[in-house]
Amino acid sequence: MKYNLELIKNKRKIISFSTFLILLSLLGILYSTFNTSYKKPINLGMDFVGGNELRIERVCEEECSNLSPDSVLENLREISSNKNFINNIKLQFQNNNKLISIRTPYLSIEESNNLITNLDNIIGPLNYESKDSRLIGPKLGKRLLTNCVTSLLVSLFAISLYITIRFDKKYALFALLALFHDLLIVFGIFSWLGIILSVEVNSLFAVSLLTIAGYSVNDTVVIFDRIRENLKSKEESYNETIQLSVNESFRRTTFTSITTLIPLLSIILFGTYSLFWFSLALSLGIIVGSYSSILLAPSLLLKD
Amino acid sequence: MKRRQGWLFFIIFLLTLSVYLLINYPLQLGLDLQGGSQLTLQIIKEEGKVTRDELEAVNSVIDKRVNNLGVSESNLQTLGGDQLILELPGEQNPLVASRVLGKTALLEFRTQKEGTSTDLKTLQLQRLSIKELIEQYSFEEKNQNNDNLLKVIQDDLKEIEQELNYSSTSNDLYGKLIEIKKYVDKEITNLFVKTDLSGKDLINAGRRQEQTNSNWEVLLTFSNSGGEKFAEITKSIAGTNQLLAIILDGESISEASVGNQFASTGITGGSATISGNFSAENARELEVQLKGGSLPLPIEIVETNTVGALLGSKNILKSLYAAISGLIFVGIFMIFNYRILGFVSVLSLVLYGFFNLALYSLIPVTLTLPGISGLILSIGMAVDANILIFERIREELYDGNTLTRSIDSGFQRANSSIVDGHITTLLSCFVLFLLGTNFVKGFAATLGIGVLISLFTSLNCSKTILRFFTTYQSLRQKNLYLPNNNFLN
Repeated sequence: MKYNLELIKNKRKIISFSTFLILLSLLGILYSTFNTSYKKPINLGMDFVGGNELRIERVCEEECSNLSPDSVLENLREISSNKNFINNIKLQFQNNNKLISIRTPYLSIEESNNLITNLDNIIGPLNYESKDSRLIGPKLGKRLLTNCVTSLLVSLFAISLYITIRFDKKYALFALLALFHDLLIVFGIFSWLGIILSVEVNSLFAVSLLTIAGYSVNDTVVIFDRIRENLKSKEESYNETIQLSVNESFRRTTFTSITTLIPLLSIILFGTYSLFWFSLALSLGIIVGSYSSILLAPSLLLKD
Repeated sequence: MKRRQGWLFFIIFLLTLSVYLLINYPLQLGLDLQGGSQLTLQIIKEEGKVTRDELEAVNSVIDKRVNNLGVSESNLQTLGGDQLILELPGEQNPLVASRVLGKTALLEFRTQKEGTSTDLKTLQLQRLSIKELIEQYSFEEKNQNNDNLLKVIQDDLKEIEQELNYSSTSNDLYGKLIEIKKYVDKEITNLFVKTDLSGKDLINAGRRQEQTNSNWEVLLTFSNSGGEKFAEITKSIAGTNQLLAIILDGESISEASVGNQFASTGITGGSATISGNFSAENARELEVQLKGGSLPLPIEIVETNTVGALLGSKNILKSLYAAISGLIFVGIFMIFNYRILGFVSVLSLVLYGFFNLALYSLIPVTLTLPGISGLILSIGMAVDANILIFERIREELYDGNTLTRSIDSGFQRANSSIVDGHITTLLSCFVLFLLGTNFVKGFAATLGIGVLISLFTSLNCSKTILRFFTTYQSLRQKNLYLPNNNFLN
């Protein structure tokens, strides 16, 4: 029934591992800022830069025929009035050529309708009932970005304030350190995903960061509470009490993480595509958060 | 024990109430689940912030226009002080709505400056030819079988530019055509002087088909004072060669002369018609705009989301799969690890689900995709509290305490850290709800409500159910609470 994590012995390893992860994240962020086409710490999606995203299914009798995106674009170019946007268009076929997914710079509703009509002429018939179209103007995008960054800062500030009031300075400092560690690593992973797989982040990514912040602090609070409680009552040395407290709350922390991960996994497996990256970010955050609550934050408390 | 029995009845009462609510007040589904379009309208103001009054004024104009358009079940709400959100459920094309709503619809009546007749005639001719060029261009575009025609259009355009002594700066031909047309429109408007009659003096607008041909005309009905002004203005130019122009958003849509017979009284009767070669569709759009009045500030459509109905129902189905499979797997995990206790937490999770949904229909919360993900995520968080309590109960049992005692102290000791632990999540939800966009608000609302309800279900409901179970002797064996095959052991 007892767990025996050798926290004291492994302190150095844990801290080095975390440092390594943080450096890797920073590297991703730097690389993304200077060495990519978008020159941003992370690949901002159309929520933040504006644009037009269209997904629509073709109506096929049996299997949908194989089409090359290039030839479709070529045809589109010929019949479209606005030659400009055609050059910046991204077109993909998914789901056995059934689903067409298109990204363009910002279009008006009229232009977007024309685009769909043109597509229908080239590769139709299309199933309009399956249409999913989003148009976001660049102005709104900028506003959303400021909005998200403000939300993040305000809520991090509120959480920090709460922690500082609730704990002594030392505990508060380490709990916050663990929190920023978690957020930085999730951010870094998505920087790398942007570089390697051109994964974009949208406003839901900011939401996931905020949720991770709330959740990760929650876990750390529970373990720190246990440590404080035990420091008052147990006779073992300071370091050993910390290790004991971590082992006592290990089952609880992993179990709660697992029960939170299970619903997220079911969204990843069965849910809609628009929630895929959101759930993935949350899952990663919960995994990293549990690691930092169980291993990193208490290790920082240990005395040499 | 008696107190708990009261709780049991209370919980059963709440459950019945929830089921009743859910049957009688069905959940409101967002557009990403039922299909439809959502437009975000941004109010444009060059300097300073949009005041509450201005927002109200824009809101009421847009509201009137939407109603006059005859869009069914539409929903208009303000967002963040300078934005409006319009929802059009079902398969309604947002194109017409966007055309009608986006225009300021500032209607002016102007009289021609004296001695500008020749200038106006030239400009009117130029306007006609540029309109023709635009039509030709659109036709060419659809059929694209005549490269020569493009050349002709280009040459004609050059000629007009030379006449106007103005050269366009746009890159493509279409842009140039539109630019020149705007320039001509502006020049025409400049030949007229403002009067004090405007769209504000209208009390109604209508449309009808012209008798002589298939074109449509738009009818204006003035208020009493508007009618007097109109009579005054027409009187002043009756019989002269000055024309009366009706100008919409800076573009003259009609220039007409007033006959000599009106020289003594002006045109009385308080109404006028605009016949400017309207198609049925254009006439209807203008009618809707004029009925709603002009916007005090211009607006721009900054976001449009459209989801097909089929995709919406697919989204519901997928979310349902995700929610149910999440619930089942969490249940299996809990029963596997905590046996009877796990079963208790599954029961309180089911209660949790019902209470949540009932509250959504009561408040009401519109269920969207992010909202559903918040709900699903909160399932996991709702079990958190149960795990904390059950771990405490196990510890007490291992220490050799009796079942009743272990349960009591388990709930007691876990209480404070549960409430504490949820505060940070609630903080995040609160900030998200205050600052987030519409899209994000759904998630914050369901997650926040979920965390609050979970405090009740996992503390109170599970305790009551557990107490109820332990009144049966057969359910009081310790090995039902302490399984030997522990996961992670």
